[in-house]
Amino acid sequence: MAEVAADIDSLVVQGFVREGRPAGVRNHVLVVPSVICSGVVAETVAEKVAEATCTPHDHGCGQIGADEAQTRRTLVNVCQNPNVAGVVLVGLGCETISSESLAAALDVPVRQTAIQTAGGTDQAIEAGCEAATELVREAKQGDRQQVDPGALTLGVAVGDLSDSTVEHVAPEIGRLARRVLDAGGRVVVAGAEALVPHAGAADELAAGEETAAELRDVLAEHRETVTPTGLRRAAAEQSPEAVAALWDGAPVAEVIQYGEQATNDAGVAVVDSTGGFEESATALAAAGAQVVVHATADGVPTGHPVVPVVKVTGNAETAAAMAADIDVDATNPDDSLLDVTRGVLGGDASAAEGHGLTAFAISRSGPSL
Amino acid sequence: MSERAADPREFEGYRRADGRVGVRNYVAVVPVSVTASAIAKAVADDAGTGVRALPHQMPLSPSDAARTQIESVLEGVGANPNVAAALYVALGTEDIAAADLADAVAETGKPVETLAIREAGGTEAAVGQGVDLAEKLAETARETRRETADTSELIVAMECGGSDATSGIAANPVVGDACDRIVEAGGTGLISETPEFIGAEHIMAERCVDDDVREKLLSRIERREQMADLMGVDFRGAQPSPGNQEGGLTTIEEKSLGAIAKGGTTPLRDVITYGNRLPVGGGFVVMDSPGYDVESVSGKVAGGAQIVVFTTGRGSTTGNPIAPVIKVTGNPKTFQRMHENMDVDASRVLDGESVRVVGETLYDRIHDVASGTLTAAERHGMAEFAINDLPANEVATLGDPT
Amino acid sequence: MKGETIDDAAIRMAAADNVVTALEDLPAGREFDVDGEMVTLAEPVEFGHKFALTSFEPGDTVWKYGEVIGTATEAIAAGEWVHTHNVVSTRGQPSTESGESAETDESTESGESAETDESAESDDAKRGDA
Repeated sequence: MAEVAADIDSLVVQGFVREGRPAGVRNHVLVVPSVICSGVVAETVAEKVAEATCTPHDHGCGQIGADEAQTRRTLVNVCQNPNVAGVVLVGLGCETISSESLAAALDVPVRQTAIQTAGGTDQAIEAGCEAATELVREAKQGDRQQVDPGALTLGVAVGDLSDSTVEHVAPEIGRLARRVLDAGGRVVVAGAEALVPHAGAADELAAGEETAAELRDVLAEHRETVTPTGLRRAAAEQSPEAVAALWDGAPVAEVIQYGEQATNDAGVAVVDSTGGFEESATALAAAGAQVVVHATADGVPTGHPVVPVVKVTGNAETAAAMAADIDVDATNPDDSLLDVTRGVLGGDASAAEGHGLTAFAISRSGPSL
Repeated sequence: MSERAADPREFEGYRRADGRVGVRNYVAVVPVSVTASAIAKAVADDAGTGVRALPHQMPLSPSDAARTQIESVLEGVGANPNVAAALYVALGTEDIAAADLADAVAETGKPVETLAIREAGGTEAAVGQGVDLAEKLAETARETRRETADTSELIVAMECGGSDATSGIAANPVVGDACDRIVEAGGTGLISETPEFIGAEHIMAERCVDDDVREKLLSRIERREQMADLMGVDFRGAQPSPGNQEGGLTTIEEKSLGAIAKGGTTPLRDVITYGNRLPVGGGFVVMDSPGYDVESVSGKVAGGAQIVVFTTGRGSTTGNPIAPVIKVTGNPKTFQRMHENMDVDASRVLDGESVRVVGETLYDRIHDVASGTLTAAERHGMAEFAINDLPANEVATLGDPT
Repeated sequence: MKGETIDDAAIRMAAADNVVTALEDLPAGREFDVDGEMVTLAEPVEFGHKFALTSFEPGDTVWKYGEVIGTATEAIAAGEWVHTHNVVSTRGQPSTESGESAETDESTESGESAETDESAESDDAKRGDA
């Protein structure tokens, strides 16, 4: 393992200052379809306007109740992520989660267009490109500045709890998490799936009775409503301490729903997400993470359009087979998660940003109607 | 029931080894999970024309119930006769094995390849290898020539989306007329969107050929209606949608009565579960699906529908990666404003034109499209695809629909 | 679904219907001769929206396509706009605290029995099947 400097200042953050939001480490202009039907238009806009990024997804209509609310708040909070300089919302015009209603809910530079209002897909592409170009120009006026590392929210995507992750990766991520927490920052962990077998240890895991009770409730609900994945089964075979090592055993101070923003100023939050990486990364982006560290024994290479993802594996086979997609081989003493993360925060491309292939998946909590 | 004589038409299609006829000749690049989706897209983007990706958001490890349905769809799109050859792309750790899907599709006699990202050496290597594989498959595909076929070999899926009051008055009756013609000529016509039978189920029930079909249909409708309860929401808050209401549709009954018109008048011969295989020469059938358009269309194409006829009052612009989607609107304003995204103007019915006359126009257009005429959605590159997921609460409370 | 147009500006889908659909944006005051009776629009009715051919009491059935499409929630005069503000579906139930499942039988029973005969048949078919 690389010798980690004890100096807290080694976590220097050069970020883009935002009004009313923490600083971001990327400066994205997002083109966000409010519904699957406007996805192609949104993607076309993002292709035509250099430096605009699309977040296409499969939802936005035929949803009701808590499921609709979840998709809606996820989209709103992703748009407010610190890495986002501005948003162009693209709708169809008849969908349940309308581009108009999303635009109205946002507190960031935003433009909006809908295919039916614009008069067709070509017209919407034109309007979207105009809007995106404007926002990109505005975004470029912002420069990176040194910001308080306490403004940082580190997202931890627990992809699995295989032996290699527990032995090699968890301590690395835990060290990074500790650094962020000591600097006054936050760590958000995705998520609940890994803690379901350890609901009994909520008192030990959480900071205080109230949060412990919240944690128990969320885990119980999750156990009832989410089909177990390999992550849950693997988590059951580890001690709660081994799982919590991913955030250096710091007390969990907040428990948030999928798609919600973390509200505490500091400390660890757990988000109610399932085992899938792509959906977890979106939850972490919605929570406010500026960077995501992904523990992955299998080498899931997917990036995310809003947050840079740092891939860490402790599995030697994966590190060899997917070398170009992995940022940190935790079995290699020359690989330093801290160094890589520092670089990514400063603007270096992660492996996933290098290949640029991303997914923007949103978890559902109800059926399509 | 129509008294007119059957009027089969010919078209030029691609005959596949299993005997089914396609109206397009694609190489389909199918990701097995969300993790492989962006790579599948990149492969299709970089490979030549004629290579189409079907990206989706299903996880590496779906629930058992969802898995069965996902497998049906992933297999079905590869097996669709519009697909000349298929490439299945996976990370390699998915619960669903790419090899199993490929084997199932290979039974249709078409060339199928698989690609595992881990084996390939990561993302960029996989994209490179995928493009090579896709281009080789495309070369083989180009050897197939169109030959004469007729209506009896078509499975035409009818859909409605972005409905307004004109849907039930003009567009859907026109489509229903075309549906009757297809069935009369020996083809298969189908509708889906089960929630949109609520309020009209008695009419559909009467069309069922026997009690078994009737029971299947009614139980599926009931199940869909219970989904609102599952979410603790008044169904009336969910259907009709905001766009439907702005367009004049007040209740689900009104919407459904207008929606079922697109299924015409012939006997309802079977109810097929989502994404499962549709019969050639099967008459009029129903596929159980959500009302959610893209998932509904994707399910029907996975079942083998070669063409989709899609009515819209408000102006839906969606297409499908491997099947031409013909847009029909009964709203004259929509046809005028969004004419580049529309194919057939059914608003002529509002001016007094006979439904049968416009129905025949559509019937002609279906065969033109079958022979290669591009639809508006194809010209504009609209190609949406999504797989209906089965969340745990749905299966736990309402049962496994697969 | 073959409708009958009235003055080229509205369409009635079946003879039994008590609402018709506007085929253009209609202004208040516009008059229609419906089977010899004059119906005057009490308010503007947009293209695609419905207006009443007759008066409704709360609970009265709304007919379109010769079928039940809902019930009036308030009194409606002939010539008034008919939509979600004064008509409700006969399906679905208001969300209850106890979250009972919607028995579709109940919601059709609460409507007028004569008009719901056909839907009751389909309910019987459901219940009668093995």
